[in-house]
Amino acid sequence: MAADSNSPLGQGAATRPVEVSRIEAGFFPYSLILPAAILILLVVGFPLLYSLYVSFTPYELLKPNSLNFTTARALRNYQKLLNDDIFWRSLLNTIVFLAVTVNVSYVISMALSQLLSRVTVGQSVLRTLLMVPMMFAPILVGMQFRWFFNANVGLVNNFLISVGLIQEQGQIAWLVDVPLGMITIIIASIWMNIPVMTIILLAGTLSLPTETFEAAEVDGASGWQKFRFITFPLLAPFSYIALTIMSLDIARAFDIVRIMTDGGPARRTEMLWTYITRLAIEDTKFGLGSAMSWITVFLSVLFTLYFFRQLVKARIVR
Amino acid sequence: MITRSVGPNRRRNDMIWNMIAWVVLIMLALPAFWIIITAFRPNIEINTFPPVWIPRRLTLEAYANMFGLNPDVQQRVAVEAYLRNSLLASGISTIIAVSLGTLAGYAFARFRFRFHTTLFLGIMLSRAVPGVALSLPLFLLFNRVGLTNNVLGLALVYVAVNIPFTAWLMDGFFRQIPTELTESAYIDGCGHWSAFWRIELPLSLPGLATAAIFAFLAAWNEFQIVSVLARNNAAKTFPPGLFAFTEQFTVDWRGMAAMSVIMMVPAVIFVILVQRNLVSGLTFGAVKG
Amino acid sequence: MLRKLLLMLVMLALVSAFVVRGQDEPQYAGLDMDLSGITIRMANIGGGQYEVMYDAIAVFEEATGATVEIVALLDGFAIDQKLKVDFATGAADYDVAWDHTSFVAQYTPFLLPLQDYFSEDELAPFSPAILDAATIGGNLYLIPRHADISPIHYRKDLYEDEAIAAAYMDATGEALTVPTDLEQIDRQARFFVENGHSSLGYTLAGKEEALTGRFYEMHFASGGSLFDENYQPSFNDDIGVAVAELLAGWYADGIIPSDTTSLLWDGVAQYFCNNDVAIKLEWYGWYAYFQDADSCAVAGNFGLARGFTGLSVGGDAVRPSGWAGAHAFSVPATAPNPQAGVQLIKFLSSERVAYEEALLGFLPTRGDVWDRIITDAADAENPLDRERLELARIQVGEDFKTPPLIAEWIPFSNIFYPHLQAIILGDVGAQEGLDAAAEETREMMADAGYY
Repeated sequence: MAADSNSPLGQGAATRPVEVSRIEAGFFPYSLILPAAILILLVVGFPLLYSLYVSFTPYELLKPNSLNFTTARALRNYQKLLNDDIFWRSLLNTIVFLAVTVNVSYVISMALSQLLSRVTVGQSVLRTLLMVPMMFAPILVGMQFRWFFNANVGLVNNFLISVGLIQEQGQIAWLVDVPLGMITIIIASIWMNIPVMTIILLAGTLSLPTETFEAAEVDGASGWQKFRFITFPLLAPFSYIALTIMSLDIARAFDIVRIMTDGGPARRTEMLWTYITRLAIEDTKFGLGSAMSWITVFLSVLFTLYFFRQLVKARIVR
Repeated sequence: MITRSVGPNRRRNDMIWNMIAWVVLIMLALPAFWIIITAFRPNIEINTFPPVWIPRRLTLEAYANMFGLNPDVQQRVAVEAYLRNSLLASGISTIIAVSLGTLAGYAFARFRFRFHTTLFLGIMLSRAVPGVALSLPLFLLFNRVGLTNNVLGLALVYVAVNIPFTAWLMDGFFRQIPTELTESAYIDGCGHWSAFWRIELPLSLPGLATAAIFAFLAAWNEFQIVSVLARNNAAKTFPPGLFAFTEQFTVDWRGMAAMSVIMMVPAVIFVILVQRNLVSGLTFGAVKG
Repeated sequence: MLRKLLLMLVMLALVSAFVVRGQDEPQYAGLDMDLSGITIRMANIGGGQYEVMYDAIAVFEEATGATVEIVALLDGFAIDQKLKVDFATGAADYDVAWDHTSFVAQYTPFLLPLQDYFSEDELAPFSPAILDAATIGGNLYLIPRHADISPIHYRKDLYEDEAIAAAYMDATGEALTVPTDLEQIDRQARFFVENGHSSLGYTLAGKEEALTGRFYEMHFASGGSLFDENYQPSFNDDIGVAVAELLAGWYADGIIPSDTTSLLWDGVAQYFCNNDVAIKLEWYGWYAYFQDADSCAVAGNFGLARGFTGLSVGGDAVRPSGWAGAHAFSVPATAPNPQAGVQLIKFLSSERVAYEEALLGFLPTRGDVWDRIITDAADAENPLDRERLELARIQVGEDFKTPPLIAEWIPFSNIFYPHLQAIILGDVGAQEGLDAAAEETREMMADAGYY
């Protein structure tokens, strides 16, 4: 029972006891989960442990003998990273990128969902339009925005010239200048994140009880007040579902960064993912790359765990 | 009383909201239209200055070049190989991931057991591991067993990566089915398995379709892992293929657009098919959970 | 009697072979061994331009009875990745591998030394500069196929306009001629941009190995060297700082494009193709593209000149630029049939095959092929076709310079180019940035066991 009310997707027993009437079935549920669990352990769990081991060795792909563990050198890779300015810079960039992307995506999606919930004309067409960014693989999103923001032939600069805001091609180097490089990458990943988030928040908004709003209207609440004190708190579970899904998928942003700037120029947009790729794949330093991978795994898991917990809490409170 | 008198005002407000919504969403979708149009324009209209905003002529040149139908152009892309590998890896992994994920999701939705939360969290968190981090050890281990540069090896990885999300979605769908149905099936003498097969699985078919399409697209779009595991056209899927193309021809924007359009086809079908189910699958846990 | 007759026949055969050779037909080589039943496996570079080679392979199979199996067909960087992985995992089960002078140093522990498989006569036609670059620790590791190097490309309209020349004379006190050193290029490029004659003065690729290589080139042309004899980084010397400052100044003043740091080869070439660049170094390989009036505004409006010498800060040590590389073949140490692989290489690098490839526009690495194509171009419609070849022959013969022959060239580049980008973009000063790069490089080299 105690386990149940903590289930991330299970509602706490406090509110709707009917729904938690899960069935006692001995070993049967384990046998259902077993194949999935074995596969995940085999393809994700074991390799991760192996990479933990590799991260304690000086392994380089082209030097097969370097894959050996010695206590003396075990922490060398981690020490190196802690003393590596580029690592810290890419960590900082990654955190800034995640924080801005998540927050701005959320705010925009919330606004869009409120907007869409009031639409009376062409709801279904608008929803299809909303889903358009979902049709793009992250790698396509990256390519498309790299082209749009190209200094010389890009859509954005061409448009700015056409409306007379800038005079010549190449005047704004979007993917180069600080902080435009980060901003363009963030714009691209926000664009990719909007549909799923908006859909979830819209579904939540449409499911809210209308009586509450009518009552508030009688009391003379303004539109903003209604949103702030009724819609927003009631949407909390939906918000956390959206944020959790996003945190599961956020590493896909790597594809965007890889294609738009590949961490450049001059490491201005270097993130953990691009730095790992450079170290491990291009420079074949698997030991060092694995050490950094573990740091990203740790961060991602923490991030996701946080949202999951919030999700659980939000449900129980309601 | 007061609410009555704001009638005309409200109608005007509605119109404004509608207009804003339309403008915003058209802008959101605009990049896609631009990509599609670009794929069918003559190259000279794309790179010229001042820009040509409205196409004067449409052409299939980009596709002719890509498929090697144009003898003058040598930048042929191995579209057939990418298509084959993408379909194989995504198809195989979807079937297996959805089967296993559905079973797990069913267990989480329907049954009470020890370590329910721990197991659920464990499975979900495996999904949070970034592809970059996973690709390095997978590469080393797969190398030993001959699974690198192998479509089946790739499919195996995609199964593991797709199980968690499938399990989550299916957990939501199964919980939409009242427990009473299952219980009455037990009373009628069904075992756990036959109750699942005869009653719950058929009822969750729409959800299953949604989960399948999600899994398929995740594999179809995956880039980080395949770019490390696949070393040539024997296993390269569309994303690394497209990446290699743009690395080689960094200013061939039309070629990029043309390949993008091909790659988007399954996603377009998906959006048309699952609009409705998607929402209920993603949000069920919150609505009634 | 019979013996005499046989001897006569052999003599006759030899003489006729000599005569045929004298008849000026380019010859195949490597067909003198019976390889029936042997399968030669080959990991090779792909792409449409290499079709000549595949047509030739059929001739080889016919003549020797061998079967050639292509086990991989990839672009240059992808095949580099494949070779690294296969060598590391002991999976290089092929007899011939594509190779490149810039990459060969990192493969040497895994390659078969070739000097014992080739006679002096067989090696004689190849450019000594390239063979030198492929000889590491006294062992020859590859046989070159074709090479590339960069001449100065300049816009003819800017140099043939008397008004511009007069204005330049007024402004600088010197005549406007096609530049021969980097400081002249600097003055002219700035003049063209500041007076609106050209929207850009110069362009260069601004990231990855392409940027590192161009810096390396300007640095050695100015008399510098990236590493000293103990493999200590020495690119942060006065010469390196001067070169980096030149590039940073160009960026700040709009002489090079604002998106320089995003550009790779084709992005750079696109600018020149659009007639937007006054002057630049560019690979010979782009010639056909630039001369195609359907795709390039610069077609017919550009000339070529030998690479520039560097900045005068280098004193007497300045030399012509000539960062170069050559595509080549190697034999992996783990090859199942090394002798058969060598035969195939002899054939594919023979005068005949090399000549046929040179007809597609590749720069050959054999003296005999140079003679032929320059003779062929004697009555070309465009005199630049011939000038180009004569110039290229001089550059490949005299100016050919590979990157430092260390296995860490690419890891070094990955350390170096972001620092150089930061200098170009003005994030750090030249000395400071190069010092930081030198520090990291030293660490990397120490890890690799150099000191």
